[in-house]
Amino acid sequence: MSLKELSDDDLWLQMQDDLYDGQKDEVVEETKEALARGHTPQQVLSEGLVAGMDIVGADFRDGILFVPEVLMSANAMKAGMEILRPLLVETGAPRIGKMVIGTVKGDIHDIGKNLVAMMMEGAGFEVINLGVNNDAQKFIDAIREHQPEIIGMSALLTTTMPYMKVVIQALKDEGLRDDVYVMVGGAPVTESFGQAVGADAYARDAAVAVEMAKAYMARRRGEGVAA
Amino acid sequence: MTELSERRRERRARQVAPRQLAAQISYTQPRHELLDTNGIRRLHDAAMRVLREFGVDFYDEECRAIFADHGALVKGETVFLDEELVMRAVARAPRQFTQLARNPAHHVVIGADKVTFAPVYGPPFVQDLDGVRRDATLADFQNFVKLAYLSPWMHHSGGTVVEPMDEPVATRHLDMVLSHILYSDKAFMGSVTSGPNAADSVTMAEIVFGAAAIREHPALISLINVSSPRRYDDRMLAALKVYARARQGLLITPFILTGAMGPASIAGSLAQLIAEALAGIALVQLIEPGCPVIFGSFLSTMDLQSGALTMGTPEAQLGLYCAAQMARHYGLPFRSGGAFSSAKLPDAQAGYESALSMLPTLQAGTHFVLHAAGWLDNGLAAGYAKFMLDCELLGMLHTWVKGVDLSDEALAFDAMAEVPPGGHYLGTGHTMRHFRDAFYRAELFDYTSSEQWELNGAQDSYARASAKARQLLASYEPPPLDPAIAANLHAFVAERKAAIAREPRDF
Ligand code: B12
Repeated sequence: MSLKELSDDDLWLQMQDDLYDGQKDEVVEETKEALARGHTPQQVLSEGLVAGMDIVGADFRDGILFVPEVLMSANAMKAGMEILRPLLVETGAPRIGKMVIGTVKGDIHDIGKNLVAMMMEGAGFEVINLGVNNDAQKFIDAIREHQPEIIGMSALLTTTMPYMKVVIQALKDEGLRDDVYVMVGGAPVTESFGQAVGADAYARDAAVAVEMAKAYMARRRGEGVAA
Repeated sequence: MTELSERRRERRARQVAPRQLAAQISYTQPRHELLDTNGIRRLHDAAMRVLREFGVDFYDEECRAIFADHGALVKGETVFLDEELVMRAVARAPRQFTQLARNPAHHVVIGADKVTFAPVYGPPFVQDLDGVRRDATLADFQNFVKLAYLSPWMHHSGGTVVEPMDEPVATRHLDMVLSHILYSDKAFMGSVTSGPNAADSVTMAEIVFGAAAIREHPALISLINVSSPRRYDDRMLAALKVYARARQGLLITPFILTGAMGPASIAGSLAQLIAEALAGIALVQLIEPGCPVIFGSFLSTMDLQSGALTMGTPEAQLGLYCAAQMARHYGLPFRSGGAFSSAKLPDAQAGYESALSMLPTLQAGTHFVLHAAGWLDNGLAAGYAKFMLDCELLGMLHTWVKGVDLSDEALAFDAMAEVPPGGHYLGTGHTMRHFRDAFYRAELFDYTSSEQWELNGAQDSYARASAKARQLLASYEPPPLDPAIAANLHAFVAERKAAIAREPRDF
């Protein structure tokens, strides 16, 4: 049966299944098909992509899906989002959110940061991954260039963790601090350390990071903060 | 009567006397080998192919230039190496060397048939004597140095036994090296957090041992981690250059979480690991031919369901056997293993995982065992009680490694001749000669009857280990140190701290 023959409901289900299976090309086709049928970008997002990734998220949490599978799903999600994102902007739909993430200067531990980036993309966020070893200027440049709502800093060394504070101070100096939600993480980072350096949030793992980012975006929209 | 009580006193004294550091153990058992000649060739060829086709990134211009000068192809930050160049450089590395300790009786031979045990390295947290997980402090650092010093089974004082979080990042390395020297007389490791920190470590070693002496035999071994996959970072390389030029020992260790930082298979991860280690060892030998190096392997797995780190898993041990065999093939001293665990406290999981890591470590013929005691929570925490329990295991392994004595005395015909069928051996001359040290006697494990155990307070090994650590720390006395050397060290540290305070820095 070709895509065109599916009922709308079956199309949504098909999208969700293909997201679950990490079928990027299929998800792209289905996204286009749904749009071609006249569904709003917002509808395609919520009925297809987000609904699909919610299932992925639940099954990852419950130990059914493995990281490599989630990575494939997140890539499929990202591909679908690339089509939807400009349309969502045009229609004035609330933004899911954009995140700039990187490990701080001196730190090259990046597996955890990459997992966070992957899960954020899986949740529909646009993620600018700065890679490892970023000084304050790189974060600042990225904020100016990409206008994210959220920045994420990762550090796994107690010798590099204090640099998070340097970045936050630099954001203040540049007058950017109030525009972004600063999230921090990495195995030796703790809730109290996050508070001490003046971050907005600390998350112990990627799933929690996504939940916090989503909650923040909801608050930000609700509170009518300029996006 | 006087005579009797004197004997009694003598025996009691023997009972409480602190045990001397056990001699470094020598392997007498055959190594457990998984690879045949074809297996060795396959891994070697795969590693050479990685070096030739994929290369390794070196985030240091000078290091890349050194490779290029020796004929390597350099593109951007990537260095491509051919077999000839690598193997010629690696062949310059010594097969074994001696690391100096402040107490000459504690010098350690690294390589040959010897094993060196060193404490856990790097944890930012401790699981303290009250069982609380909290930030590690300089006091904790010193406590672990003391416990390692007091353990008869620990040959080495280690390096960053815990990260002293209460000390400023910029000067922590000075406090750590100083603490090793003041609170122990065993060999120790240098700082690798930057080139200048490495240089400070070398200067302090020179103050203690003399500049000429440490060029002859290294006084430091320092841990250079490869940032797998296929990448050496700028800090590590800055430290590597300082130590190589000072002819200090370098522990080159690729750290691969199989599945994330290496292929999701042992063979593929090994090929990558060998390539990475040899590239770093070759660099050291190009900088300073004959500089002491250790081929390190830290291969662990990732739970690909959750993304969590897993330690003490069976695959990691299989990788360990093979990596050890490859190091032997290249004629290099080998580092691996440790009392690894993902557990948060010294519970059953910790015991199983640590034992399952340590036994293969020795079966493989490992020469330098970092993390031999204290490791908890995937390396995030150092546990006091865990340290004590691991030392108990190390004690047992000292006996285990020796294998079986087949001498006439050990065959004990005289004892058998003394005992009729159905008799017992408790009083034979042979038993009388050996009863004290015939068998390893664990201090922290319980062998009493269950009633007796109840009467003794029904403690588990965790509680006994904590009590033992408390008791040792209370009775600790520092080893003697020449006051002139101590004064020079303190002066150097004070001077460096003042200088560092004047340097511009981020934090
Ligand atoms: C793998 C590893 C390495 C690898 C890293 C390779 C790579 N490509 O990333 C290598 C070998 C390169 C390495 C090197 C070193 N390491 Co290391 N390393 C580790 C190890 C074992 C695991 C880290 C990891 O990948 N975990 C798995 C991931 C999935 O977990 P995670 O990173 O914690 O991320 C999760 C959360 O923290 C969170 N999160 C992470 N980032 C972020 C960001 C945000 C914004 C949010 C919200 C959440 C979040 O979500 C993630 C997913 O759930 C840790 C020990 C440990 N248990 O953490 C030591 C550890 C961090 N390393 C340590 C040390 C000391 C070093 C070295 C200095 C050692 C040396 N002498 O060479 C070098 C330093 C290199 C450098 N300049 O950075 C110490 C640090 C402690 C300290 N003293 O500060 C540790 C604790 C181990 C130890 N006991 O020695 N290391």
